[in-house]
Amino acid sequence: MNALALFNPFSGRRLAFLGLVWLGFILICALAAPLLAPFDPLAIAPVDRLSEPGGSYWFGTDNFGRDTLSRCIYGARMALIIGLGTVAVSLTAGSLIGMLSAYFTRLGHVLMRVIDVLMAFPALLLALVLMTLLERSIANTIIVIGIVYTTTTARILFGMTLKLKSEVFVEAAVCSGAGHCSVLFRHILPNLISPLLVQASFIFAFAQLQAAALDFLGLGLPPEIPSWGNMLSESRIYVTRAPWLLIFPGILIIFSVFSMNLVGDALRDSIDPRFKDDIAGV
Amino acid sequence: MLAYAIKRIFVLIPTLLAASLLVFVFIHLIPGDPAAVLLGDTATPEEVAQLTREMGLDRPLYTQFFLWLGNFLQGDLGTSIFFQEPVLSVIADGAETSILLAVMTMFWIVIFGVPIGVVSATRHGTWIDQLSSGGAMFAASIPTFWLGLYLILIFSVTLGWLPSSGFPSLSDEGGLTNLRYLLLPSLTLAAPNAALIIRLVRASMLDVQREDHVRTARAKGLHPLRVAYAHVFRNALIAVAAAFGFTFAALVSEAVVTETVFSLPGVGRLVVQSILRRDYPVIQGVILVIVILYMVTNLLVDLAYAWLDPRVSLK
Repeated sequence: MNALALFNPFSGRRLAFLGLVWLGFILICALAAPLLAPFDPLAIAPVDRLSEPGGSYWFGTDNFGRDTLSRCIYGARMALIIGLGTVAVSLTAGSLIGMLSAYFTRLGHVLMRVIDVLMAFPALLLALVLMTLLERSIANTIIVIGIVYTTTTARILFGMTLKLKSEVFVEAAVCSGAGHCSVLFRHILPNLISPLLVQASFIFAFAQLQAAALDFLGLGLPPEIPSWGNMLSESRIYVTRAPWLLIFPGILIIFSVFSMNLVGDALRDSIDPRFKDDIAGV
Repeated sequence: MLAYAIKRIFVLIPTLLAASLLVFVFIHLIPGDPAAVLLGDTATPEEVAQLTREMGLDRPLYTQFFLWLGNFLQGDLGTSIFFQEPVLSVIADGAETSILLAVMTMFWIVIFGVPIGVVSATRHGTWIDQLSSGGAMFAASIPTFWLGLYLILIFSVTLGWLPSSGFPSLSDEGGLTNLRYLLLPSLTLAAPNAALIIRLVRASMLDVQREDHVRTARAKGLHPLRVAYAHVFRNALIAVAAAFGFTFAALVSEAVVTETVFSLPGVGRLVVQSILRRDYPVIQGVILVIVILYMVTNLLVDLAYAWLDPRVSLK
């Protein structure tokens, strides 16, 4: 496939393309954080605490005199880690559960009931309950949010696999003596790649919001880690004195989530029409 | 229809049992002796031993589960470690705030979500449509707590129009005017959910517009507005009604955050504070009540859906 074909979903959708550009910018910030950040994101400078934006601190400083711009840049790293981690956990677990459940009907009866039960808990509530059992850490935040989206992914993949299972090419593969593994992973899975990609973009977006909410409630990443959610959570008490602490991380979260949703929307409109109704999004 | 309702209720019962089993197991997953966990740090060994006996913690796990479930069905959810009060009354204290907040939020969602969605669909493809669906997606991308903090900054701190936190009961001094305390929180909570409804109303109206009966209505010369209302909008509402179960879950999740931002004495903030205080009986109780409410809401929504659209129960 031509590499340029990847951009086809974005032709004629200027806003979605801008979203893609923004995400590229965030990716660069995340990868090159040590090169781009003017200060150490953890360095404390009590003399400069709560400085307004300007001078050597473009985005101002927080209560400890830490540079907001540097923390925002390092925050992009956290956003990327949380997003990719959640996508990896929920897509791997969700597609395995969904595909196996649809393919092996008896197993499906059991597994899908478990998914139903987990879905009886509103998303953030499930994450909160799981977080009470675990320590605050990056890995645990990813696992917890990952579990929440595993349920929806499994449900969606279950439906899609059921549709594919009755297609002629799958029957043909079975008749020609293909084993279960071969049918599932060589014949069914490749057809699910593009809807999975769309699902991944929406999960990436929602994971940002959930992670920020967990950080804000004091149940997400450890407080010393410079994530956008933690920055907002800390700035809460200084809202009146230092509104810039609220503006910059907030805008970064909003633009990133919005961009990811736009990209997801554009991808969804370009995929196989069979699956259009199955995929959730904003 | 009746057969469908009975079938749905029978499907609900095992899921409810399994969900309550999960909530029950939760207390056993916390490291340490459940009785010691439930009583908190200040408990004496005698108290722990007594609770162990009372709760039957020395008995097999399945006996414990049915004991716990039996107590729950009689309205006994245990005692809060922090408040030293029955969990049920702690939850009841937060209910007024949370219910009023939910009602006001639903009001905004319907007032903003439905008309904007309708206009977006009837003006499909125009700049109005692009602006409102783009705006809706943008609104859904804003973290609830950030919007709340910003509204406080603008309307409470800078303009001084509305209170920034707390909520005195309607029965306190001020009566109905106390609802102004819930104005900012309900708008905060409504924003992302109204955004979902806008996109949903738009999508389902566009779906219905393609159906044959709409073409027939147009062909026989009905006024476009009448077609839009009687033939498209009313049918599209069925799909929207089905989404209200989903909205309930979103409301609960986001109420946890919103009530924390605005320091409202509701059930959502109770969850967060109980988690931070390690008040496990309250966490267990609130989660169970919310899960039951959510499942019953979903059931009612599905039944309403089947009633509005008879094709559903025939499938």
